[in-house]
Amino acid sequence: MPQNEYIERWEKLHGKRLDHEERTRKRRAREAHNSSKSAQKLHGLRAKLHAQARYKQKIQMKKQIKSHEEKSVKTSDPKPSSEPLPPYLLDRNEPKSAKALSSAIKQKRAEKAAKFSVPLPKVRGISEEEMFKVIKTGKKTAKKSWKRMITKPTFVGPDFTRRPVKYERFIRPMGLRYKKANVTHPELGVTVQLPILSVKKNPQSPMYTQLGVLTKGTIIEVNVSELGMVTTGGKVVWGRWAQITNNCENDGCVNAVLLV
Amino acid sequence: MVQTTWKAIAPVPTSQEFLDIVLSRTTRKTPTVIRSGFKISRIRAFYLRKVKFTQDTFTEKLQAILDGFPKLQDIHPFHKDLMNTLYDADHFRIALGQLSTAKHLIEQVCRDYVRLIKYAQSLFQCKQLKRAALGRMATITRRLKDPLLYLEQVRQHLGRLPGIDPNTRTLLICGYPNVGKSSFLRSITRADVDVQPYAFTTKSLFVGHFDYKYLRFQAIDTPGILDHPLEEMNTIEMQSITAIAHLKSVILYFMDLSEQCGYSVAAQVQLFHSIKPLFANKIVFVVVNKIDVVKPEDLDEESQKLIQTMLKGGEVEMLQLSCHTEQGISDVKNKACERLLAARVEQKLKTNRAVDILNRIHVARPIGGVTREVFIPDAVKNRVKYDLNDPERRKLEKDIEAEEGGAGVYNINLKKNYMLENDDWKFDKVPEILDGKNVYDFIDPDIEAKLAALEAEEERLEAEGFYDEEESIEDDEEADIRVKADFIREQKQLIRNAARSKKALKNRAIIPRQKQPKNLSEMRNSLEKIGLDASTVVERARSKSRGRSAAGRSRAASTMEGDVEMRDISMHDISQMTLKERAKSRARSQSNRREDGVTDEGARTKAERIAKLNQKKMNRMARQGEADRHTTASLPKHLFSGKRTIGKTNRR
Repeated sequence: MPQNEYIERWEKLHGKRLDHEERTRKRRAREAHNSSKSAQKLHGLRAKLHAQARYKQKIQMKKQIKSHEEKSVKTSDPKPSSEPLPPYLLDRNEPKSAKALSSAIKQKRAEKAAKFSVPLPKVRGISEEEMFKVIKTGKKTAKKSWKRMITKPTFVGPDFTRRPVKYERFIRPMGLRYKKANVTHPELGVTVQLPILSVKKNPQSPMYTQLGVLTKGTIIEVNVSELGMVTTGGKVVWGRWAQITNNCENDGCVNAVLLV
Repeated sequence: MVQTTWKAIAPVPTSQEFLDIVLSRTTRKTPTVIRSGFKISRIRAFYLRKVKFTQDTFTEKLQAILDGFPKLQDIHPFHKDLMNTLYDADHFRIALGQLSTAKHLIEQVCRDYVRLIKYAQSLFQCKQLKRAALGRMATITRRLKDPLLYLEQVRQHLGRLPGIDPNTRTLLICGYPNVGKSSFLRSITRADVDVQPYAFTTKSLFVGHFDYKYLRFQAIDTPGILDHPLEEMNTIEMQSITAIAHLKSVILYFMDLSEQCGYSVAAQVQLFHSIKPLFANKIVFVVVNKIDVVKPEDLDEESQKLIQTMLKGGEVEMLQLSCHTEQGISDVKNKACERLLAARVEQKLKTNRAVDILNRIHVARPIGGVTREVFIPDAVKNRVKYDLNDPERRKLEKDIEAEEGGAGVYNINLKKNYMLENDDWKFDKVPEILDGKNVYDFIDPDIEAKLAALEAEEERLEAEGFYDEEESIEDDEEADIRVKADFIREQKQLIRNAARSKKALKNRAIIPRQKQPKNLSEMRNSLEKIGLDASTVVERARSKSRGRSAAGRSRAASTMEGDVEMRDISMHDISQMTLKERAKSRARSQSNRREDGVTDEGARTKAERIAKLNQKKMNRMARQGEADRHTTASLPKHLFSGKRTIGKTNRR
C-alpha cells in the first residue's frame, strides 16, 4: 500500500508528463470558454448562485484593474506656478471658501434640528386589524368578540402577571415577548445585546405604548450599564433610550439604535 | 477491534460548499409553490417545513463529519499520540468542538424561529421569518470556515498514514539519521521506501510486511532522531519517539560505526543511553550497520569500551549487518523475530486466558501404562521400495501403458481390479439395459435369496394343486342380460355426452330445435333408425331444394353441347378456365388499388419508391401515419367545460 506522501514521491521519481505545461496552459486558456458555456446553460437556483459568485468576482476584477491603473498613472502635485497670476484669475480661489462657509452653516442647522430628531423620523401606520387578532369567546349562543390578541412582539415588565381570563382584554402571547434588544452605538459603531427596561413611546398610538408593543420606530429604554458610559458629572449611565430600527415581527429579533 | 486506519472518512466541504449543499437541498426537497390566498395554517406549515428541513440537513451533515473522525479517547494510545504530534490534539478537539457547538446553535435557531412562525399572520411575515432563520444558520456555518478547512487537511493526511497495528508482531527500526534504517527495511520487506544519502530522507513512519515462520510481521521504519531533550524535538523526531514509546515490539537500534552518517560513535552511544527509558519491557538489539566499511572489532579501545557500555546488563545483544553487501541481513531478521516470538508466547502463557485453556485440555492415556504400538500391515512393511533402476521392480500402470502402445492407444482396464466372488466373472459382459429396463434399477443385494424363496413357494403351491383349472359356468340367459346392460350403458353415456355438449354452449344463444339446421342425411338416418321408410320424404326435399345457379346450369349446358372452336379442348382445360373466370369476376368487383391510376410498371415502381421515402421520416420519428386509425373525442372536455373569464370561446 502506498503510504505517506506517495504522490509527491512518484512525481519526484517519474516527473510530470512531457506535455504537462502545455496542457495546463491550454486548460487555463479554455477556462473562460467553458465557464461561459456552462453559464449559458444554467437556470434556476444554480444560475442564481453562479450569477452571484460571478458578480463578486467581477467587482474584485474591476477593483484590481483600477488599482493597476492607479499605479501606472504618474501623479504629480500641481506645483504652484512660479509666474504670478493675473488679477482676473486670482478670483478662482474664492468659491472654495464660500462653499466651506455654506457647509458650515448647513451643519449648524442640522445640529440644531438634531436635538429634536430621531434616526427614524417617519413610520408606517399600522391598523388595528393588523395589530390585533379578534378572539371569539362564549359558547354556541352568546358568541362574543371583545378579546384581542396582539400579533406583534411586545415587551412586558419582569413583574408582569396576567389578569384573570374574564378581564383580560389584550393577550400578549408568550412566544412574542422580548426581553433583549441588539443595540448599536451609532458613534462607536458597536452592537451589543442589552436588556430592555421599558417602552417609552410607540409612535403609532399611546395605547400601544401602554401595551408595550415593539414596532419599527418605537423608542425603548435599554440598560446600558454594560457599556460603561459616564455622564459629564462622572456618574455611570444606567438607562438610555434607543429607537427600534427593524420590523421585529419579520426578523425575530429587536434591533435598535442608541439615541445620543 | 480498535481501528488502525482511517481511509474512509468522507471529504469535508468548505463552509461555502457546505452552505450551497444544504440550501440547494432545501430548495430541491421541499415544496416551492405557495400563494397568499392559501389558508394561513397551510402557509405556516409550508415555511415551518422549510426551516425544519434546513436544520435537519445541517444537523445530519455536521453529525456525519463528527462521526467520521476518530475520537481520541477511543483509539490506541500510539495513534492518539501520533495524531497529537501530527495535528495537535487540542486543535483537533477544538475544531470538532466548534462543529458540535454550531450544530447546537443551529438547532436552537430553528426552535426559536419555528415558534415565531407559529404566530405569523401573513405569507410575507412567514417568508421573512424563514429568511431570517436560514440567514442565521448560514452565518453560523460561515464561522466554521477555519475548522472545516483544518479538518479537511487532517482527513487527507490521515488517509495516507500507513496502517500500523500496535498489537501485532513488530520490528521497530530506529537510530540516528542516515545510518541505514530505510535501506534495511527495503531489504527485508517490499516496502517502497525512499533511500537517499542525506539526513531526514524519511520524514514519517513507514511500514513494511514480511513473513517469518508463516507468520506475518510488520517492520516500522522511523525517521532519524537527534540527541536532544524531548521538548526540543520537532514533529518528525516526535513521530519516532511515539512509535518507540507505545508499540510493543523488538527495537533495532541502528548504528553506523564508520561515521559516514556524520555522527560520531560516541554521539550514537549517547543517544542510545538518553532514549533508553523508552526501551523498558522491550527486547532491544543494537544493530551495527555498514560492516563492509568498519567492523566493531576494528575500532579503537575507547570506542569499543563505549559500545560495551550499551551491552552492559546482558539484556541488549549486538548484531552486525551490511545493507550494501546484504551480509547478515537475514541473520538479524531471524534472530529478532525468534526473540519476539518467544517473548510473546511467554507473555501469553502468563495471562489468565492461557491458564484457563490449559486447565481444559486433557490428554487421555491408556490405563495401566500399556503402550500402544503403531500397527503396520505386513504387506506394507515388506513392500520393496520402488526403484526405477531395479530390473525386478514392480510393474506400474505406466509400464503397462508403455508396453501396450503408449498414451492415447492404451486403454486402461478397470475390470481387472474388480473384487468378485469368482475371479472368472471379472470380464463377463454385463448388460446395462435388458428388455427395455435399466438393469441397475433391479439390482438387489439379496435377490438370490428372494428368488430362491419365491421358487420354493411356487413349487409348494403347485404341489398343493393351487393352479388346477375350475369349470366356468355361464348360461345363455346371463349372456343376454349382459348384452342388454352394455347397450343401456352406452346409450346413457351418449345422452350424458349430448347434455354436456349442450351445456358447453356457455354464453351463446340457445337456438330452438325448430330453427336448428338439419341435414337431409341426418333426417334420413334418424327415420331409418326408428324403422320408417324415408325415401318419399327425401324425394320431396330434393325436389324442393334450390339446385345449382342458373349461370352454372347454362354453362354446363354449353359445354355439353360444345362449340366448334372448343371441340378439341379437353375437359381438364375447361375446368381450369372456369376457375380463372370466377377469380377474375371477383377481382373485377373490387379494383386493385395498388394499380389504380398507374399507367405502367416504371411509374408504379417510382410511386412505390416515393411512398416509401415519404413514410421514412414518419417511421423514424414514430409519428402517426395514415394507417393509424384514431377517433378523437366527439366533445373534448377541455374545450367545452369551465367558466369563460378572459378571452372568447374561440380562444380555447
